[in-house]
Amino acid sequence: MPITILAPRPSRAANGPSDNASSSDSDSDSNGGADLDGDLPMTTTKPKPKTHPSKHTPSSFEIVTPGETITSDPQWMRGHGTYLPPSTTTIISSVAGTVTRTNKLLSVRPLRARYTPEVGDLIVGRIVEVQAKRWRVDVGSTQLAALPLSAINLPGGILRKRTETDELQIRSFFAEGDLLVAEVQQLFGDGGAVLHTRSLKYGKLRNGVFVAVSGVGGGGGVVRSRRQVWTMDVANGGGQVDVVLGVNGYVWISKHVETAAEAEKGATTTTGITNIEESVSATMYSSQNDRIEVETMREIARLRGVVTALVENGLRVDEDMVVRGYHEAVEMAMVSAEGSDDIYLGGERGQRLAAVLTGV
Amino acid sequence: MSSTNHVLLSPAELAYLHASLSLTPPIRPDGRAPTQFRPLVAETGILPGTNGSARICFADGTEAIVGVKAEVERTVVGPEGEGVIVEGGEGEVEEGGGEGEAGWVEMTVEIPGVRDDDSGTAFLAAMLSEGLLADEGFVRRLWINRRFHWKLYLDIILISPPLSYPLPLLSLTTHLALLSTRLPRLKSEGDEDPFFDDDWAAAPYLFPRPNGKSTTFVSQTRPPITLLVMAVGNNIIFDPSKEELAVADVALAVSVTAGSSSSQAPSKHVPMDTSTEGRNLRLLSIRTIDPPSRLTPPGVANAANSAYGANAGQKTTHEAQATAEGEAVEGVWRAPRGGAKRMVLGALVQKVLERGGVVDEVLDALEGVDLG
Repeated sequence: MPITILAPRPSRAANGPSDNASSSDSDSDSNGGADLDGDLPMTTTKPKPKTHPSKHTPSSFEIVTPGETITSDPQWMRGHGTYLPPSTTTIISSVAGTVTRTNKLLSVRPLRARYTPEVGDLIVGRIVEVQAKRWRVDVGSTQLAALPLSAINLPGGILRKRTETDELQIRSFFAEGDLLVAEVQQLFGDGGAVLHTRSLKYGKLRNGVFVAVSGVGGGGGVVRSRRQVWTMDVANGGGQVDVVLGVNGYVWISKHVETAAEAEKGATTTTGITNIEESVSATMYSSQNDRIEVETMREIARLRGVVTALVENGLRVDEDMVVRGYHEAVEMAMVSAEGSDDIYLGGERGQRLAAVLTGV
Repeated sequence: MSSTNHVLLSPAELAYLHASLSLTPPIRPDGRAPTQFRPLVAETGILPGTNGSARICFADGTEAIVGVKAEVERTVVGPEGEGVIVEGGEGEVEEGGGEGEAGWVEMTVEIPGVRDDDSGTAFLAAMLSEGLLADEGFVRRLWINRRFHWKLYLDIILISPPLSYPLPLLSLTTHLALLSTRLPRLKSEGDEDPFFDDDWAAAPYLFPRPNGKSTTFVSQTRPPITLLVMAVGNNIIFDPSKEELAVADVALAVSVTAGSSSSQAPSKHVPMDTSTEGRNLRLLSIRTIDPPSRLTPPGVANAANSAYGANAGQKTTHEAQATAEGEAVEGVWRAPRGGAKRMVLGALVQKVLERGGVVDEVLDALEGVDLG
């Protein structure tokens, strides 16, 4: 079936029960045309005065919009996503999101938000601009992050000082469009981030696919966790696959390439630590993909499907969920009609996957 | 100048995407089959003030709304005299009004964040209206009498930012909106000033629905749809996402319509079965879309990379430069060069027009949407 068309899901009764959903259908049928009498169902969705927040149970699902009064009761304290107009006690939401209460603190969790960098975050970014001594990197934040030339590992092994030659061939390290994994080193006062890739774990990305998932909020998206990068064995003879979950919601899934350092570890030769670094940094700025087997590509696509299915169904994306989701997806494919080559996880299949994951 | 918006992808990503899409069968990044569309959510009749409206939402969040408004307009008769009009009930045929007819449909496309005179938007609108107008049967439906006709205003609005090239989305939404369009029933007769039944429930659909008492012939005619089809190597891929389009060798916008037009022997013996055989598909127009892949930066092979391994810090040698410009190295992205292969173009169109193929199923699915 090349196309599936679903009927829209009935909207969740966000602010108390609303009965106008069913009546609006029949109304628009009979009225049709141009009806200016104002008897359209849209008039029934008049903003009702908000009920007192303390009457709600803490689990009640309540969406507020920017400028909407949450409460005027002075016993509440304002938290993130709210503001108090001067000389009043009215707490007003400044973002669209769900109201959360912690004791007497009222805050609004935004439905969608851009990434706010914090020092030490592992992020995946994309170069959008090359300047004289630094790159500007899109990290899904409100501003572009900066990656100074002095904050990358220059090729040639030893940690050497950058030279004018390096400045001249800055595009040979990273050019526009290149993806990289980096760490937030420092923050500017305005929230802009400075990145660094001075570790063998960081650097240019290749051999895989990129997927940008939505920012934090709404229950979905990448969350900060213990491990953001891991290597996993995949099914169906796909070998090993690396997954990088950037805290900023950018995800990279690629074939695992045995680095020289790992090879050395196994072989236990007499290479010194400096030599390892030298051999590793050799491939650091390559933009040539290695040979990737069909099986690996298929499993990478399946993993990407798992990540998008998690996000579309409002689940968090972390190592545990992705690994579990992946194993479920493999099993779902086993029993499906097309067999284990079936990697499609969109629409209703993604919902099934999410249901299995949340049911456990 | 590219007609599709440019996507920034790294050469390594492009090489990977191209490699996976060139496999047989291709592995698409979202796991779809080559002919599979993204799952979508559709509803009609969402705008009470219009004659017909529809909303379609893709799972990735792109969403479009189309509203159709109709207005009675006086037909301007050309200086050469009245158009030759052949009388005869349903399926009116008007001839001689060639240039006037195109003006009976006005289409505007709005895409957030893009100026409405942006070349990309103008191109989109042109492609969509071209498909509609190429089907002469469509404009004829707007004929009321010798002096008056309906003027249709189609307002196409993309609500979300264009996450992928929005042509298929807009076309499917327009199709649905036209399917749900109803025009007031005409009460007057002949060439007198038109007078309409004010009972909206009695208003007939612009495209009569198959489940009624209408004949199979009438039920077969549907508004045209424009599909985006692309090819990577010899693989033909429907409804490409933004990333897939970024590595396309060829991209085509193909407008097709189902059923035969009234000019092709209407009500005579058209050999078709409504359900089993599939539809009689008619090609209305083809447009090549400039794929953004041609503007992508090429990858640098390791041999030519001055920041790579042993070369680090050295000047690029001339022979390494030569290999970079010369034959393709596996795993290194090179933007497609040259025109589309004629065989591939032929196969693309063939695949779209396949009887009982993708278009048939798409039309079936769209017909299944409740026109409430």
